[in-house]
Amino acid sequence: MDRTQLLLTLSIALFALGLVGVMIRRNALVMLMCMELMLNGVILSLVTFAERSAMLSGAVLVFLVFVVAAAEIAIAIPIVLLLARRRRTLDVGAWSELRG
Amino acid sequence: MSLETLLLYFFAAASLAGGVLMLIARHPMRVALALISSMISLAGIYAILGVHVIAVFQVLIYVGAVMVFMVYVIMLLDVRDPSFLERYGRAVVPSVAVAALLAVALGAAVSGGDIMSAERLAAMHQGGRSGASFEVQPFSVEFLERYWLHFELTSVLLLAAVVAAIAVIKAGRRHHG
Amino acid sequence: MNLLTLIVVLPLTGFLLNGLLGPRLGKSFVTVVGCGLPVLAFLATIRAFGQLDGAAGLALVESAYTWAVVGDFSFDIAFYFDRLSALMTLIVTGVGSLIHIYSTGYMKDDPSYARYFAYLNLFLFFMLLLVLGRSLLVCFVGWEGVGLASYLLIGFWFEDPAKAAAGKKAFITNRVGDAGFLLGMFLIYYALGTLDFDAVNAAFQGPVPPAVSASLVGVLLFIGATGKSAQIPLHVWLPDAMAGPTPVSALIHAATMVTAGVYLVARLNGLYLVAPEASQLIAGIGVATAFFAATIAVVQTDIKKVLAYSTISQLGFMFLALGVGAYGVAVFHVYTHAFFKACLFLGAGSVIHALGGEQDIRKMGGLARRIPVTFVTFAVATAAIAGLPPLAGFFSKDEILWYAFASERGGSPLLWAVASVTALLTAFYMFRLLILTFLTPSRMDHETEHHVHESPWSMTSVLVVLAVLSAIGGFFHVYLFLEPVMPLPETAHALEHLEWPLIILAVVIGLAGLAAAVYVYRGGLDRAERLERRFPGLHRLLSGKYYIDELYEAVLGRPLHWISERVFLGLGDRRLIDGSLHGLASLAQRAAGRLSSVETGQLQQYLWLALMGIVALLAWMWRHG
Repeated sequence: MDRTQLLLTLSIALFALGLVGVMIRRNALVMLMCMELMLNGVILSLVTFAERSAMLSGAVLVFLVFVVAAAEIAIAIPIVLLLARRRRTLDVGAWSELRG
Repeated sequence: MSLETLLLYFFAAASLAGGVLMLIARHPMRVALALISSMISLAGIYAILGVHVIAVFQVLIYVGAVMVFMVYVIMLLDVRDPSFLERYGRAVVPSVAVAALLAVALGAAVSGGDIMSAERLAAMHQGGRSGASFEVQPFSVEFLERYWLHFELTSVLLLAAVVAAIAVIKAGRRHHG
Repeated sequence: MNLLTLIVVLPLTGFLLNGLLGPRLGKSFVTVVGCGLPVLAFLATIRAFGQLDGAAGLALVESAYTWAVVGDFSFDIAFYFDRLSALMTLIVTGVGSLIHIYSTGYMKDDPSYARYFAYLNLFLFFMLLLVLGRSLLVCFVGWEGVGLASYLLIGFWFEDPAKAAAGKKAFITNRVGDAGFLLGMFLIYYALGTLDFDAVNAAFQGPVPPAVSASLVGVLLFIGATGKSAQIPLHVWLPDAMAGPTPVSALIHAATMVTAGVYLVARLNGLYLVAPEASQLIAGIGVATAFFAATIAVVQTDIKKVLAYSTISQLGFMFLALGVGAYGVAVFHVYTHAFFKACLFLGAGSVIHALGGEQDIRKMGGLARRIPVTFVTFAVATAAIAGLPPLAGFFSKDEILWYAFASERGGSPLLWAVASVTALLTAFYMFRLLILTFLTPSRMDHETEHHVHESPWSMTSVLVVLAVLSAIGGFFHVYLFLEPVMPLPETAHALEHLEWPLIILAVVIGLAGLAAAVYVYRGGLDRAERLERRFPGLHRLLSGKYYIDELYEAVLGRPLHWISERVFLGLGDRRLIDGSLHGLASLAQRAAGRLSSVETGQLQQYLWLALMGIVALLAWMWRHG
């Protein structure tokens, strides 16, 4: 397969792996990290397309996405910290009160 | 097979391995390290592609800031809680199944040949300028010339993030006296 | 010309006035309305009777109201007045009015005075519908209506559950018979397309036989008659019906309602003339019932029960006459029976009134001197029912016996023999009743004896009138009067020479019964008790009324009750209906329980669900474009 397809496949695979991780891991921080993996997968596809189409605006967009990711993690982690302090555990199962 | 392609495969495998390790590792620190290695492999891929500026920023911002922050927090907290002993949640198999389904669906969409066909490229090039090189200088010129507004807005975004973080911490502190 | 409608409507007005306003307006109002309107109806009937005679034998027909129009058939409420209905109407309004007057004395102290007269007027209304109706449909409305009135009146003192049960028994037994009536009616309508009596008679007598078996229809209608006229097997309600006030027993269960069955068969003589199997059945059941009831009456100890079984027995005689084709003679017996049976019942009521409520004849005796008017009238009526000449009963019973023997339409010596034995028994038990009640030395307790007094003139005057009618009524030969409407059957020529000997034999039988009763009961109950000890089994059988009630209870009552309880209540109501409702409710609950398992509170599950949605969406989009 050619480069583009390889990289796009890799991007989908990373995205799927991250998704699986979010759904199956119980530690809140690990879930956040898996979400970062997902985001990385998407960024990879963005970079692939940018390089292929040889447009600098693609690169600029990637940069902007980095900034957003940083801002996001800066807020997400304190929130997780506070939640963990509430329930004295990082386990997301501690927050399920509905019996179902 | 050229060196380039080989390296590409190598870095691709490395990032996949890192991703898989993330799912398997028990200690969150190990998960973080796996993620870091995955990100660095991705940076390598960007470099091979020739998008050096992005590669650098990946390592600088993503690994250097985001993951360091994550590592700090992991070191801060007591990780020996139920989520350590029992890594996985309730529905492992269905999650894998549905993710696989999604991957297949997306893959099928991608594998049609016309994702980046020549016509599309030609159509795209009608629009913005197409620079061939992704060096720092052309990049920054493009950035600050054409996308200066976005640049300013990112600083606003970062300011908002700082304020929000402080507010969250303050709120938490008020709760616990 | 609206005379017939007037006759029918007058008692109805009485019912409405007494029922709605009676309790408020007091006893005098109720008395005037309750007795006055039936008397007016009687006068109107006489007027109509006068008109009838003038019309040279043609019937008066009045159409009052079109009830319903279905397709090209219209159901009318129409009245038909020929000689038969004239006679029946005169009996109903005449004897009815007398009994109303009697009731003013008998029910004087009853708190529900107004309700009583309302029901009595209601009964009169329905009975008049029955006898004046032109079609089987109007007749049936009256038929059902008198059953209703009977139920209301038998259970008049409904606070006593036994009396209320007696009312129910009467109504339900009637209903069983009514099923037969309805089926017969349906068949007639199906075959002939009309329900008018005159049309039905003409159709069955006409040249082309209708497309339905006359015997089948005859039997079905007769089943209805057995219910209403207390013949075997539906006779069980009449003795229990004595729970009602005595005037009610006199009016409904002696003079009028129970004769409705006889009227029905007589009215449809055109049908029964061509239904020999049905007629044989009628004659057989009639004579069997007569004999059977007479045997039970011999051992009864309640004064009213003796009269009740006597009524059943006399009705049997009437059906015997109908069965052998002597329709006019049967109606003649209806007419005489109305007089003497009403007199007997009202006399019994007078005795009960005098004794302050005692009804057991073993506790009576020696009343002849104390209540002479009652005694004399009772004695006259007893002699009439026993068939002693020249009283009314002699004439009617004698004609029945003669036609039972000699009629070409089914008479036989066997029928005559059984009927004659029954006549002997009738004389015996009626004189037994008379002697034990009035003539033997007193067996009353002292309390009651002091209380004995003659009834007020409102009651005794009626007794006198009825006794006089019982004496002279027989001289008006009703069956000859009815001959144009109901021709008498031919009698076997070879047997005609036996007519006078049979008459003399009948008189001898009557006197023999009298003699036997005098012999056994002369000094009181001693001889009777010795006889009882000699034949204990027979006595038990007769006292137990042949255990028919127990048989019905075991064969019909208990299984039906079991089915009701186990099948309909247990299975049908509880399991099916309640079960399905509960099932639905629990289904909803369980479904809700299962569905709510989606909300687990697990974050990752929610994520999974969202993802499934996205995958599905992608797949769909991919498929469709």
